[in-house]
Amino acid sequence: MPAIRNQIRELRAQREITQQELADQVGVTRQTVIAIEQDKYSPSLETAFKVAIVLGVPLEQCFQYDPQGKR
Amino acid sequence: MSTSLSYREKTLYASLAAEILVYGPYFFLHQQNSVNKVAGMIVSIIVLQMILQLLIAAFTRNHVTDERDRLIELRGYRAGYLAIASLMVIGLGMLWFHATIGNHRLDNRMMGLHFLSVFFGMLIIADITKTATQILAYRKAL
Repeated sequence: MPAIRNQIRELRAQREITQQELADQVGVTRQTVIAIEQDKYSPSLETAFKVAIVLGVPLEQCFQYDPQGKR
Repeated sequence: MSTSLSYREKTLYASLAAEILVYGPYFFLHQQNSVNKVAGMIVSIIVLQMILQLLIAAFTRNHVTDERDRLIELRGYRAGYLAIASLMVIGLGMLWFHATIGNHRLDNRMMGLHFLSVFFGMLIIADITKTATQILAYRKAL
């Protein structure tokens, strides 16, 4: 399991936001959103906050840190 | 799930194609390299890169680059640096070997051209390593 996991896909689906729409609002590429959702890329703190703001949830509801996870 | 190429990824594929197209024939078809040919290659790669980048820019709507692009770019430069540093050490070792143990004369004109070709080759290998590493990072999602 990765050290940083996220619920972006689920939150995005609930709000009916596409990957491209989220990417545009956060200011990243759609490929970066895909990589984050697949837990292959851990975003910077700034991007993580922006994602949480766009999805309208606190940061910890969007991203979770697992100390036992693989970095 | 579709993972179509980003603007940055397309430019990398174009760079790699241009590098292989221009440098490939130079090293595999020409036995006699010269300063003029090296200069010709440099001009060719610049012109080809400009044309390809303009075409990609014209046919790509979204030109956004982000933190992940910058991270991948840095990884590529690190791989390129490691490649050129390793090749330099090997090249200098071979030079030392030829100068001390071998019977090559290092003062003639052909030897100068030979070194030019070898060092130019090192730069190209490092550049291709950089581009290929970046493409690989994009394909692996990072």
